[in-house]
Amino acid sequence: MELTERELYTVLHGLVLGTLFLLAFGGGLAGLWSLRERYLTAEGVQERTPRLLIGTSVMAIVAWLTVITGTFIAYPWYRATPPEGVDRADPAALEAFPRFALLAQEKTAQWHEFGMEWKEHVAWLAPFLATAVAFAVLYYGAQLVRRNEVRRAVIVFFVLAFAAAGAAGLFGAFITKAAPVG
Amino acid sequence: MTTLPADTKPNGPVAAAFLASGVASLVMGIGVVLNEASTTIKDAIGVDFNAFLQFDKSYGFGSGVGPLSGKVGLAIIAFVVSWVVFHLWLRGKEVNFRSYFIAALVLVALGFALTFPPIFTLVKPAG
Repeated sequence: MELTERELYTVLHGLVLGTLFLLAFGGGLAGLWSLRERYLTAEGVQERTPRLLIGTSVMAIVAWLTVITGTFIAYPWYRATPPEGVDRADPAALEAFPRFALLAQEKTAQWHEFGMEWKEHVAWLAPFLATAVAFAVLYYGAQLVRRNEVRRAVIVFFVLAFAAAGAAGLFGAFITKAAPVG
Repeated sequence: MTTLPADTKPNGPVAAAFLASGVASLVMGIGVVLNEASTTIKDAIGVDFNAFLQFDKSYGFGSGVGPLSGKVGLAIIAFVVSWVVFHLWLRGKEVNFRSYFIAALVLVALGFALTFPPIFTLVKPAG
């Protein structure tokens, strides 16, 4: 039972950070949704504000870490070019070159042409959106409960950040299954 | 008993952060389109966006990442610079948040659209 260095990084990128992201999203969304004056006492708002800040901040930090590890560590392995002499039409010869392995067969080419092409770009929207959300929660703190229009906007951006990361994560899992970088 | 302050801070800085994330999303989308259309653009005006976006080769930003390094680099720069500019413009101001949010949402929607393969491949030369 062992993991290669590449498998370890992809587990960190997809599974560990992905799980943290999901947890932070679930907690953050529940906190933002129920942050209404009619539901909570002033003590209740004060009590849950630090948790809300932690949830949204963790989601922003994890979003940055996920795209940075994905783009700058795993992605170069994925798009590595086979040396001269390797048959680019033979998937068996392209095991160490996932992008070329996927493109070698019509039945797997769409994993790159649609899946990877979408994933590598849309994932980067998540940290921008999640950072704006975390900033809004940090800036207003407990006062966010009195700012319904901002709270609603924060929820929309929070969900969009999750959607961007979710699409990228889903295709990441499928692509790793079809052509692992490890 | 704890009480919450009746007055809250002005919403300008939050509007600035939302707009900055919208700008960064749009820049990411534009980077994708420029890269896909680079051959056509190069033939038309002589500018090679594919080569320009390879920040890994030009600046050592992310070895082996290719044009994605430029798209990501430009989006991050756009995020930071636009946030600073919008923040300086809107700090201390109470703005019509709905308008700013809708503007940010439109930018983000464009970012999502332009990073979606069936859309950005429309500008890719055939073959």
